[in-house]
Amino acid sequence: MTDHAVFATTRRVLVVVVFAVQLVLTLPSLVERGHGPAAWTAYALLTAVLGVVAGHVAAGGAALPVVVAAPLTALVLTSSVLAAVALPGGASFGPADWAFGLVGWYLLLVLVDRPKALVTALAAHVCLCAGWFAHAGNGDVGTAGVVILSGTSFQVSILVITRVLLRDARLAAEAAAERDAARTRAALARQREQDLRAGFEGQLGALLPLLADLADEVVGVDDEATRLRCSVAAVQLRRLFAENDDVPDPLLHELTACVDVAERRGVVVSLAVSGTATAVPTEVRRELVAPMARALAAASGRAKVSLLRTATEVRVAVVADAPETVPDNPDAPVSVAVETSVHSGLVRSEARWRTT
Amino acid sequence: MADDVTAVVVDDHPVVRAGVGHWLSSEGIALVASGEDPEVAWTGPGAEASVVVLDLHLGGVAPALAALRRLVEDGRRVVVYSMRADDEVVLQCLEIGALSYLTKAEGAEHLVQAVRAAAAGQSYTPPALAGALAGDSSETRPALSPRETEVLVEWFQSESKEFVAQRLNITLSTVNSHLERIRVKYAAIGRQAPTKAALVARAIQDGLIGLDDL
Repeated sequence: MTDHAVFATTRRVLVVVVFAVQLVLTLPSLVERGHGPAAWTAYALLTAVLGVVAGHVAAGGAALPVVVAAPLTALVLTSSVLAAVALPGGASFGPADWAFGLVGWYLLLVLVDRPKALVTALAAHVCLCAGWFAHAGNGDVGTAGVVILSGTSFQVSILVITRVLLRDARLAAEAAAERDAARTRAALARQREQDLRAGFEGQLGALLPLLADLADEVVGVDDEATRLRCSVAAVQLRRLFAENDDVPDPLLHELTACVDVAERRGVVVSLAVSGTATAVPTEVRRELVAPMARALAAASGRAKVSLLRTATEVRVAVVADAPETVPDNPDAPVSVAVETSVHSGLVRSEARWRTT
Repeated sequence: MADDVTAVVVDDHPVVRAGVGHWLSSEGIALVASGEDPEVAWTGPGAEASVVVLDLHLGGVAPALAALRRLVEDGRRVVVYSMRADDEVVLQCLEIGALSYLTKAEGAEHLVQAVRAAAAGQSYTPPALAGALAGDSSETRPALSPRETEVLVEWFQSESKEFVAQRLNITLSTVNSHLERIRVKYAAIGRQAPTKAALVARAIQDGLIGLDDL
């Protein structure tokens, strides 16, 4: 429940209360005792205020804008003065004083969502009435005190209840929002994990069929082509493990991982790096490293891997003793340009990515 | 094969001094002095050596750039031989006026060629140095032609000039003259040094590069 709902409900209840008080309790007393035209004017003014607020509530509005609330308050206080002055001397707070309680209810109705203004207006109303009472100077002070206290304390307590309701509603709304946020976070974490797993599966492409073929004994490790597939898969896997490591230079980290696998196979690899580290998106890194990883997987003897970063480009190249077969690239690169060529017994494969 | 090329080696590791001495002498280059202090290149037989092979990291943390500057300003031909391949330091050494910069991962072949070139007052650009030049994104870098850049990059990537020549469909000597032109362009920027001025002057004399290219 929001502030809007609390005020809307409270104001709706107050409209009913004020309507009942004005019609059932006040009107008979007014008619019976035959007050002057000033009292009837006050009564008419109050009825007009009730009309405006009821119309506002019926239209679904909760908070009364200041431009409406301020004149309404002024009207109510004017009625208070008119009604008090119309009373015969000493009748204030007595059975004939039809307006004192009613005006309090009206102030509550108009200002329930503005506690400070409400308390000020109520105080002004009480002071006005008490002042007129003192001016007449022949009333019963005890009765007046009881009436003032019982009337205003009832109205102030309603204000307090509204504030408590409001606070509880806010706490509940905060708790609900927190619960929603936690639920969203959990869903996001689940989604991220799924994405990561899907990413791994997508990257494992070359490995899974190979493992299946080995398990089914469709291929054997004594076959040169199978050994090459194993070698490619090993480099790809090693690169994939390195992909999510938190390091300052991920591209170099992945290259080093691939070089490490090739060195374990007995290839003598030298790695040269030039230029300063620049941010390279994961997708691009995959494409930059893939051609070099495949060439390294097929290499025997010596290989040179180089990473060059200029102001406009990132270039990953491998120059290795030419193998008999260089594995084909199953996926065409999207964001990098790959060039492979063989000259004087050396194979060169280079992937270039323009940073700008 | 004996010629009149002599060298002095400044390095804080005895094994490096011995190794470099062996590599050079087996190619007919006489090692006339060696030591761990740059003073060895200023006194005794070292002062007469035609080439100084200088290690940048002589025990201290900071590279021995002051020692390099002092040698270069005296007109000495220096080949920097360092463990580090830090691009910034490499470019700084060229700017000061070193004729070559080799990393210790680069072997005897490059060192001997660098020393011979230096003895003749010429530059030598090994692959690691080519990489540093290709990756140079400083604002003061000279403008290289697309072909020059391609030669640098291919040389850095393959470490084989024959391979570069075949790939780019040019001759070996064209590969070399591209590398030389690049070094002359670098020699023409930054502070003045006798070795750099000589590189530029000779390149212009030989018609390798025009004044407009600088």
